[in-house]
Amino acid sequence: MEILLTNKQLNTELTAVMEEKAKNHGGKLLFIIVGDLNAKAEYEENALAISDQWLYVWNSTDKKLSYEIPIKSIKTITVKRVYGNALIRIEQKTGEMLDVFRFTYSVASLCDGAAYFITRLNEGSTLEEEYVTLKSVFEKQMLICPRCNRTLRRAGATCMHCESKGKIFSKLWKYLAPQKKLLFVSLLLSAITTSMTLLPPYITKMLVDQIIPGKDAGALKIVVLVLFCTYLLQYTIGGFRGYLLRVCGDRIVAGLRNDIYEKAQYLPMRFYDKTSTGAVINRISGDTGTLQNFMLRMTQEVIVQFFLLFGIVIIMFVMNWKLTLLSLFPVPLVVTGARIFGKKIAPFYRRIWRRWTAVSSILTDTIPGIRVVKAFANEKNTVKTFERYNGEWLKTDIKAAKILNAYPVIVSFCISCGSLLIWSIGGRQVINSATTGLTVGLLVSFLSYTSMFYGPVNFFANLSDTYQSALASIERIFDIIDAEPERNMGQGEQMERVEGKIEFKNVSFSFDRIKKVLKNVSFSIEPGDIVGIVGTTGSGKSTLINLLMRYYDEYDGEILVDGKDIRSIDMESFRGHIGYVQQEPMMFRDTVFNNIAYSNRNAHIEEVIHAADVANAHGFIARQPDAYDTLLGERGVGLSGGEKQRISIARAVLKNPSILIFDEATAAVDSETEHLIQEAIERLICGRTTLMIAHRLSTLSKANKILVVDEGEIIENGTPQELMALKGKYYKLVQIQSMSDAMSKERFE
Amino acid sequence: MVNRRYIDGDNAKFTRKDLFLVDVEFYTGEKLENVEPRRLFPLSGLTRYIILLDEEGEEQAVIRNLETLIPASRKIVDDCLREYYLIPKIQQIYAANDKFGALKFHVRTDRGDCSFSIRNIHADIKVLYGNRVLIRDSNDNRYEIPDYTTMDKESISLLLCYI
Repeated sequence: MEILLTNKQLNTELTAVMEEKAKNHGGKLLFIIVGDLNAKAEYEENALAISDQWLYVWNSTDKKLSYEIPIKSIKTITVKRVYGNALIRIEQKTGEMLDVFRFTYSVASLCDGAAYFITRLNEGSTLEEEYVTLKSVFEKQMLICPRCNRTLRRAGATCMHCESKGKIFSKLWKYLAPQKKLLFVSLLLSAITTSMTLLPPYITKMLVDQIIPGKDAGALKIVVLVLFCTYLLQYTIGGFRGYLLRVCGDRIVAGLRNDIYEKAQYLPMRFYDKTSTGAVINRISGDTGTLQNFMLRMTQEVIVQFFLLFGIVIIMFVMNWKLTLLSLFPVPLVVTGARIFGKKIAPFYRRIWRRWTAVSSILTDTIPGIRVVKAFANEKNTVKTFERYNGEWLKTDIKAAKILNAYPVIVSFCISCGSLLIWSIGGRQVINSATTGLTVGLLVSFLSYTSMFYGPVNFFANLSDTYQSALASIERIFDIIDAEPERNMGQGEQMERVEGKIEFKNVSFSFDRIKKVLKNVSFSIEPGDIVGIVGTTGSGKSTLINLLMRYYDEYDGEILVDGKDIRSIDMESFRGHIGYVQQEPMMFRDTVFNNIAYSNRNAHIEEVIHAADVANAHGFIARQPDAYDTLLGERGVGLSGGEKQRISIARAVLKNPSILIFDEATAAVDSETEHLIQEAIERLICGRTTLMIAHRLSTLSKANKILVVDEGEIIENGTPQELMALKGKYYKLVQIQSMSDAMSKERFE
Repeated sequence: MVNRRYIDGDNAKFTRKDLFLVDVEFYTGEKLENVEPRRLFPLSGLTRYIILLDEEGEEQAVIRNLETLIPASRKIVDDCLREYYLIPKIQQIYAANDKFGALKFHVRTDRGDCSFSIRNIHADIKVLYGNRVLIRDSNDNRYEIPDYTTMDKESISLLLCYI
């Protein structure tokens, strides 16, 4: 039973009008898209409603339906995307063109879905099938928390604000639990040191009131010794506690990092399609630190500061309740000031950060690119730009310095004024001590407690901000930890041997379930076949490989290897039989040896050397001063593109896979290197099923089969000779390349 | 070398065909039908270098400077561009809340009131020279503040928290 889908709550009256209309037309309303623009591209809520038979557009300006179109009368329906807005265009069977619904990109995916829905219905697809697709589009759009209306980190993510605090704590407890003993000891130690900090002011009172006026040298010695011991113990315990806390914190953060990193390895490619790798790295490095601080604060500082505050207030009240009330006078000012300051200062920090980012982006652009700067004699301009950005930073920082320094000064001033009040009223009471009973020692000790009192006050005043920023980190971290991992449906189903027969049976795939990247693709590859995959950019070549590599498992149809659906095979076991050589080979920050042995950690030295030999890499590796021990920098700094490619081929050789995939392996190298790589590839592919994506058709000279992909479909499939005889797309591509090669040769000569 | 056809002054006459499409008739009698004007510099040059694309997306001609066209033609191209490019100009910021990693704005624009969220404060709010601010929301919609210093005090102080 289809429920009415909508992206936003529409007033019930309007919904009722449209439902009634659909009913009158003998159908049922299926979904409503609430748009945000009118026909003149002004902000206004309008609605597009679709039933199983009709399309309706509600116009808020005229408060009526502006279009009522039977779905069957629609010839084509498209979404015309322009800049910052889009339109649904309908061509009716009568030939009439209509721009029926205008909207911003906020609802563009939904409108794409609506257009696709109608197109598919008119093509004869079933309502049930298309409704399911559309429902998933609506669900993906649910980026707003239905309870608090806040934007979620990604569609379907848990809203941390609405998540019960108990649930958040239970998630964090996993990381705190192993450290509970250490945390408890640390808390105990901190209770001891906190009590000790309360002692010196009381001893001061004894010194001032009794020992010094009584000229009791013996008692003075004892008191000083007691104070010395107190300080010694306090700082020793404090140091030890600091060490314990550091250990706890490090273990918590290490645990968190391990979990996020591990999870990041198993997240599906779809996650990385939407989340930048930089954002994931930030979560592992930055957010874990924020969370560590927060957890320690909540489990330690909150308790300690609370007891400190409580203890000080009790002591002060016991000493003199009138002066205590007086000393509490600046508290509201300090608390309010801290709140205001917290809000005021955050934008300054952000602004300074932005300016600094601008400065550092110039550094990262120009210092590594110094050759280009010099080649274009652009030193002066570069310096000028740097000075301009640095000047902006300076201006912002100086501006921020005012407010940054003003707050502590104002707070200190308020507290000092408070102490002046105590001095003036308390001092008067000391002068009249005969009637009031207040002594100098008591007053001095009271003032010490007053200054100590503001530490916990400040702490609690800023606690909410700490909580807010930690909540943002928690949200980002658990977005990864709670994310659905790559599905391994065939877990445990090992594949000992792979012959290399590959079949695609009616495979269709879409990244967004709307636009099909592959459409009903079917072909078969025999073991040992060398298959060239050709086609223009964006035709779907790499998607074919992505599906075979199981980067995406949600597709229609079947992909079989040796007659087995690849989704029913254990992921690790399956990928273990595939060798993949990319256009831009990835080198790790490690030695050349370990970079080759990445595919087989247990490989013998001679196996690695043999692999390098096969890949035509041994020669240049041996010529390096550190040979196989040469440490490669980030992304393989120190090697040319061709050398990196040959190392990546050696990696594939060492893996000894049954199926080999080359994705534009020679696209970024010169002809001589291409020849060396080609030679290596030819040695490697011998006897293995090989798929090669190539723009340069010359690299497919060994291919016994060619697949031509165009707009997600296999338009030609056969031997190179068959396709040449066919005089289709492949023939044209060959002609164009031969012509361009001849022209370059001519120019060269 | 591409032989680019430039349109200057009154060497061509424009007629509106559609919301986004125009027909062009050159003084030579040659015609371009159903071409779509698009800016080559949608952010930095609103009236200069407007290309005309045919239905296949191929460039057919370039208007060097809209201001040199005859007034009637200029209005036609201007209207088309206004329909094509929706970059609402923010006139007032009612509220800006930065919570849970997303910044939410509620603003008044020249196209009415609207609310939007920004995912990445640092990448999606850009301040250009002349105090011009460009904003991109989480749905890839664009907004512009032509000169933020001309807005009311409250709006400036809300904006200054994020730029």
